[in-house]
Amino acid sequence: MAYAYLFKYIIIGDTGVGKSCLLLQFTDKRFQPVHDLTIGVEFGARMITIDGKQIKLQIWDTAGQEAFRSITRSYYRGAAGALLVYDITRRDTFNHLTTWLEDARQHSNSNMVIMLIGNKSDLESRREVKKEEGEAFAREHGLVFMETSAKTAANVEEAFINTAKEIYEKIQEGVFDINNEANGIKIGPQHSTAGGASGAGGAGAGGAAGGGCC
Amino acid sequence: MFRSRSWFGASWGRPKNPHSLERLKYLHNILCKNTTVSESNRGTLVESLRCIAEILIWGDQNDSSVFDFFLEKNMLSYFLKIMRQKCGGSSYVCVQLLQTLNILFENIRNETSLYYLLSNNHVNSIIVHKFDFSDEEVMAYYISFLKTLSLKLNNHTIHFFYNEHTKDFPLYTEAIKFFNHSESMVRIAVRTLTLNVYRVQDASMLRFIRDRTAAPYFSNLVWFIGKHILELDACVRNDAENSFSSHQSQQKLDDLVAEHLDHLHYINDILCLNIPDLNDVLTEHLLHKLLVPLYIYSLTSESVRRLQSSSPYNRDHIQSIEAITRNLEAILKGKNAESPSRMSFPRQRMESEDESKPSVSCVVSLFLLSQVFLIITHGPIVHALAWIILQSDLSVFEDGATKILEMYISNAKSNVKLEFSKPQLSLEKALENTSSERDYTTPEYGGPKPFGYDTDHSSCDLDPELVSTSLPSTSHISESSSIDHDSTEDLVTQINPAKSSSSGTLKANMPDSPLPDSGIESSSSKTNEYNNITDEEKQKLLGVAPSTSAEDRRSATLDSIIERESKEIEKRPFLKTILDSLDCSENDYKALFALCLLFALINNKGVNTELLDTLLCPEEEITSGTHEASGVATTAASGDTMSPPPKHPLQSFNALLISKLMAIANLSCKPASKVRLVTLELSVTLMRVAMCGAGGGASARHAPAADALRARAAALARNFYKCDDIFLDMFEDEYCETSKRPLNVEWLCMDAAILLPPTRTPMSGIAFAKRLPSGEMERARRAIRTFFLIRDLYLKLTGKPETQLPLTNPVPFVQVGDVLDLNDSDLISCDIIQKDGTWQHRFLAVDNIQIILVEPDKQRLGWGVAKLVGSLQDLEIQGDKEDPRCLHLTIHKPRVGASGALPRTVLLRAKFKFDDHIRSMAAKQRLTKGRTKSRQKKMQQIGRLLEVSGMCAPSMAPRHRPLFARPALATVRRSTGGEDDTDRRLRRPSGHMLKDGIVVYRERTTSRESSVSRSSSAHGSREGSPRSRSEEIPMEDIKRNAVPSSLAAPPVVPQSQASTSSTLLKPSNSSEETSFMSSEPSRPKRIKGLVETI
Repeated sequence: MAYAYLFKYIIIGDTGVGKSCLLLQFTDKRFQPVHDLTIGVEFGARMITIDGKQIKLQIWDTAGQEAFRSITRSYYRGAAGALLVYDITRRDTFNHLTTWLEDARQHSNSNMVIMLIGNKSDLESRREVKKEEGEAFAREHGLVFMETSAKTAANVEEAFINTAKEIYEKIQEGVFDINNEANGIKIGPQHSTAGGASGAGGAGAGGAAGGGCC
Repeated sequence: MFRSRSWFGASWGRPKNPHSLERLKYLHNILCKNTTVSESNRGTLVESLRCIAEILIWGDQNDSSVFDFFLEKNMLSYFLKIMRQKCGGSSYVCVQLLQTLNILFENIRNETSLYYLLSNNHVNSIIVHKFDFSDEEVMAYYISFLKTLSLKLNNHTIHFFYNEHTKDFPLYTEAIKFFNHSESMVRIAVRTLTLNVYRVQDASMLRFIRDRTAAPYFSNLVWFIGKHILELDACVRNDAENSFSSHQSQQKLDDLVAEHLDHLHYINDILCLNIPDLNDVLTEHLLHKLLVPLYIYSLTSESVRRLQSSSPYNRDHIQSIEAITRNLEAILKGKNAESPSRMSFPRQRMESEDESKPSVSCVVSLFLLSQVFLIITHGPIVHALAWIILQSDLSVFEDGATKILEMYISNAKSNVKLEFSKPQLSLEKALENTSSERDYTTPEYGGPKPFGYDTDHSSCDLDPELVSTSLPSTSHISESSSIDHDSTEDLVTQINPAKSSSSGTLKANMPDSPLPDSGIESSSSKTNEYNNITDEEKQKLLGVAPSTSAEDRRSATLDSIIERESKEIEKRPFLKTILDSLDCSENDYKALFALCLLFALINNKGVNTELLDTLLCPEEEITSGTHEASGVATTAASGDTMSPPPKHPLQSFNALLISKLMAIANLSCKPASKVRLVTLELSVTLMRVAMCGAGGGASARHAPAADALRARAAALARNFYKCDDIFLDMFEDEYCETSKRPLNVEWLCMDAAILLPPTRTPMSGIAFAKRLPSGEMERARRAIRTFFLIRDLYLKLTGKPETQLPLTNPVPFVQVGDVLDLNDSDLISCDIIQKDGTWQHRFLAVDNIQIILVEPDKQRLGWGVAKLVGSLQDLEIQGDKEDPRCLHLTIHKPRVGASGALPRTVLLRAKFKFDDHIRSMAAKQRLTKGRTKSRQKKMQQIGRLLEVSGMCAPSMAPRHRPLFARPALATVRRSTGGEDDTDRRLRRPSGHMLKDGIVVYRERTTSRESSVSRSSSAHGSREGSPRSRSEEIPMEDIKRNAVPSSLAAPPVVPQSQASTSSTLLKPSNSSEETSFMSSEPSRPKRIKGLVETI
C-alpha cells in the first residue's frame, strides 16, 4: 500500500489503563466494542488521510518491557508520536504521568509529539480524575489533551488523527528531518495521493480492505 | 460496508450472535470448505480468521466450551495450511493470520487455554514459516507476534518453545536473525525478545543458548556495534575537517551516539540478568572483538600518526605498541586452545583484513570508553579494560607474556581472535550450522502435553552442576558459585595469590609477574572483603608513617616523583595517551574526553579500587617492593602479618595526574583561555578525588597549590570587578547556577555536541558551559564561575567551611508575618495604590538589605507586623511626574538560595503616596541610598572574596552600629529556655538587630510554638543546611582571611572553640549583629550614613 509518510507511534502509561484496547480500537474498526469483551493488541497499523495525503500510522505498544532500560530508551527514540494514557477512574495512573513524561522527554527526540489521553471516559460514575485536571496537566506540560473511551470508541479516532496532524504540521514547518528515520518518520515508496479508499473506514489489517473488494 | 460484503458464504445461515459457540462452528465450517485459498474466497477467509480471534477471546473470558471446540477441531492446523499455500501466502492473508495470533496470545488470560494452544507445536511451525519479510507490514506483525510470545515465557511455557531433545528453539533463533534489521522497531522487538528469553531461568535452555547461539549472535552483535562506531568516527572526522560546515552533521551524530548508548544499555541489561555462562561469552566477544581491538587499540593511533609525520618520536616506542597489541592478543586469546571448542562453526582468519586494521580517532575512542565505563558495571569487562588501560606495560609484556600465557592456558576456552573483524559467517548461516535439522513432526511434539510434563525440570533455578557440565573444565565448580566460571574471572582467581591457596608457591615461581596481585578481582563479595582489609591496612600505613621526615621528603621530592612518573608512563602506552590528552595548551577538545574517561573509570563500581590506586594513591603510600625510590615506610606494613600478601609494586601516577589536572586549572585562569567551563569543572572534581588519595586524609599537602590556584582564579575574576549593577547580578546568578546544577557526567556523555570541535558562538545552541565564551559578558561569567569552582576545590581540600557565599545570608531576613519592634524607628506612612485601584495603608521601614512594609500590631503599641518584604538591592524607584507626593516602586522578592537563579519575581509594582512631597523625597532618598548601600556592601563582599586591593583586610570592628539599639528590650518578652538559650542570650540579643534599631521579634501570627524556639528553629530551617551557630563561623573566617596564605592556620576549628572565642570578643561589640555582614571594615563615613532623619 502506497503512502506518503509513515509515522511511528508508541503508547505509554501504567498497566491496565487500556492502551492495547485503544490501539485495537483505532487500528481495526472491524472489532466493534462489545460490553462483555475486552480485547487489545500490541501492534497495529492503519492508513489515514491528512491534507489529501495517505499517511500510515504504525503503533507500537511498549507494555511489559519496562524492566529493561535499554528497551524503553530505544522505543522512545524511534517514535514520532506518543500517546500518554491514564485511566480517569484511577487517580494513581494520573499521578504517575509526571514520571512517564520525564522519561519520554529524556529519551525521545525533542520533536516528538505527545498527546495526553484520559481513557475510560464511559465510566463517568467511577471517575476519579476530573477532566479539568487532565486539561491543566496538559496545558502545564504543553501536551494536547483528550478524553477517550476504547469501549464506546469516543474520541479514539480523533486522538490518533490529531496527533498525526500535529506531526504533519511539524513536517511542513521543517522541524522534523524526514530523511532521518530515527525520528520515527518514513517517506513512502511513492508519493501517491490517489486512492484514499481506506480513509475513515480503513481496515487495520492492511490487505483486508482489498480483500473486501473481491 | 465491509461487514456486509465480506460474508461471502452467507447462505450457510450464520448464527445471529457473533459471540457464541455456534458461530465458531459456523466459521470452522467455512475453513473446511475453503481449504484452498483463491482470489475469490480470500475475503471470506480473512474475515473468518478475524472473527475466530474475537470469539476465542470472548470464549476465554466467558464460555470455556468455545476453546474446547477450537482445540478439538485442531483449528490452528488450518491456519498453517492457509499460510503454506502459495496464494494464501500473499501478504494480506498472512497479516490477518498474524494479527489473529497476536490477539490470541495477547489476550488469553486462562493459563490452561494458553497451554493447549501451544501444545501441538503448530506455533513453532508458524514461527519458522518463511513469510515475505520484505513486506514491511508482514515483518512488523511477525516480529510483534514473536515478541508477544516471548512475554508469555516462563518456566513452564519455555518447554513448548524449546525442545530439549532436538536442541531446537525456533522462537529465539528465528528472532535473532533480525537483530540487525533496518527497521529500528524490529531491532527493539528482537532485543526485548532475547532479554525475555534469557530471563527465564531454565538451565537446559540457557545451555542451548550458550552453546549453540551465543557465539554467533554476540559476535555479530559486536560487529554491528563496531560498524556503527566506524560510522560515528567518520562523521566526527568529517565534521572536524570541514570547519566551515562544522556542526552540520549534529543530527546524525546525535543519532549515532544515541545508538551506541542503546547498544551499551542492551549489553548491560543482558549482563545484569547475571547469567554466568552467557556473560562469559558476551564478555569474551566484547573484549576480544570490540573493546580491546577497536576502542583501546585506537588509543595508540596518535603516536602512529606522529611517526608518519616524521617527527622525532621514538621509533622503538611505536614498534613496541605493535608488540603490545600482539601480546595482548596472545594473552586474551590464550595460546593453545586445546580444550574443546564450544563453538561448532568454523572460523578462518581473513588475512586480507589484517592489512587495514580499523581504528577510530583518539577522541572518539576516549568518548566511547567513557560511555562504556559509565554504563557497564559488569566486573570482568570493566576490570579487564581498566587493567589494560592502567597497567599494560611495555616491558612487562615483553618479559612476562609467557608467564601470563601459562596462567591462561588452563582457561583457554576461547578461540576468538583479538581483532575487530567481520564474523566469518553471517548469523543466519551460523545458526543453520548449529541447529540440527528441524523436524516438527517428531513424536515428541505429537500431541498435547500434560501440564505436569515439566515437573521434573521445573525446579529450573540455575543449578551450577547442571549448567557447567558442558564446560571444558569443571574443576572450580565445586568450590564456588557458578559466577566463577567467567573466563576472565577464572584467570583472576588463579593469578591472584590472595585467593589461591598456593599463593606462596605461585609467587615464588613468578617473581616478576606482570599482573599485580591486586590486579583483577571481581566477584563482588570477595572484593569487598578484600578491600576492607586493604583499607584498614592503608589507614594503618597512614597513621604509622613517620610524619615530619616524610613530609620534608615529600615536598622535596615532588618534582622528582613527577619526573620519574613521566618516565614510567612512557612504558604504559594507553595511560600515556590518556594523560597526554589532558594537555590543553591548544584547546581542550581531547582533554574533556580524557577527563570523562578518568571520571567514569574511577567511579565505576565494577573496577577494583586497588587498581585505581594507580591513579589515586600517592606514590609513597603504595606498598612498594622493587621500586627503591618509592620505598618509604612500607616495609613495616608488609612485615605486618596481615591476611593480604606482600604487594607487588603498583607504579602510581598520582602526582603526574595531579600535575596535569593542575595545568588545566591554571590554564583556565588565564584571560584568553581555551578551556571550557565543563572541562574545568570535571578537572576540579577529579583533582579533588586524586588529591584526597585513597587514604582520604592526605589532601592537606595540596593545600598550598590549591590556594595559589584560588588566588589566580580570583585575579582572573578581578579583571571584571566593576562597580556596576550587572557585575553583582551576574555574580549572584552564576553562584546559583554553580550550586544548583552540579555536573552530571553521564548526561554530558550523552551529548553528541561535545564531539564537535569546541565552538564559541552561542548560536550553535550549545550550552554555555560546553563552549567558549563569546564576548565580554560571557568572559566575565566564565571568570566568575571559574573562581567559584576553584574556590570550592580549595575549601574542600582544606576542610574549611563555606562562610562567605552566598552573599546574602538569609538568616537575619525579616519574613512576612514577623512582628517587629518599631519603637523609635524611622517609619514613613504611605498609601499604596495598585494598578487595579486597590488601596492600602502601610508604614515603610528600611533595614540594611530589605524594604519592609508594616501594619501596626493591634495588640502592642509601637510594634508592627511585616506585610511585605522585598530586597533593597533590586528595588526600582521612580518619581511621579505629576504628583510630587508619589513614588513608583517595583519590589522584588529577596534572592535566597536556589531561588536566586530563577527570574526575579516581582512582589509588588505600585504607586506609593506619601503625606507630602517632603516625606516623599525623604522616602526616595532613603530607598535610593539603601539600594546603593546594599549593593555596595555586596560588592565589598565580592571584593574581599576576590581580594581586590584595599578590601582584603577585614577588621573586627562593627561596621554599623544601630542608632537606637536597645539590646535590653529584646529580652523582655523572652521566656527563659534551656541552657543553650541562656548561652545565646549572653552572646547576643534574641531578636535580630537591624538597621535603625528594628528588633525583629519572631512571633508569627500563625506561630504555635513559643517564640523562642520558633526563632531558633527558623534559623536552621531557612538556611537549608543546619548551621546552628552560623554566627560564630564568620569570625573564625575573618581571622583566617587576615592571613590567607598562612599554612599555620588550624585546619578545622572545632565548634566549641569557635564559640568561646567569639563569646570572649563579645563585650566589645555586644550589640553587633554577628553575621558575616559584620566582617566588613569599619568606615566612619558609613556609620554616619546610617543616620537618617526625616
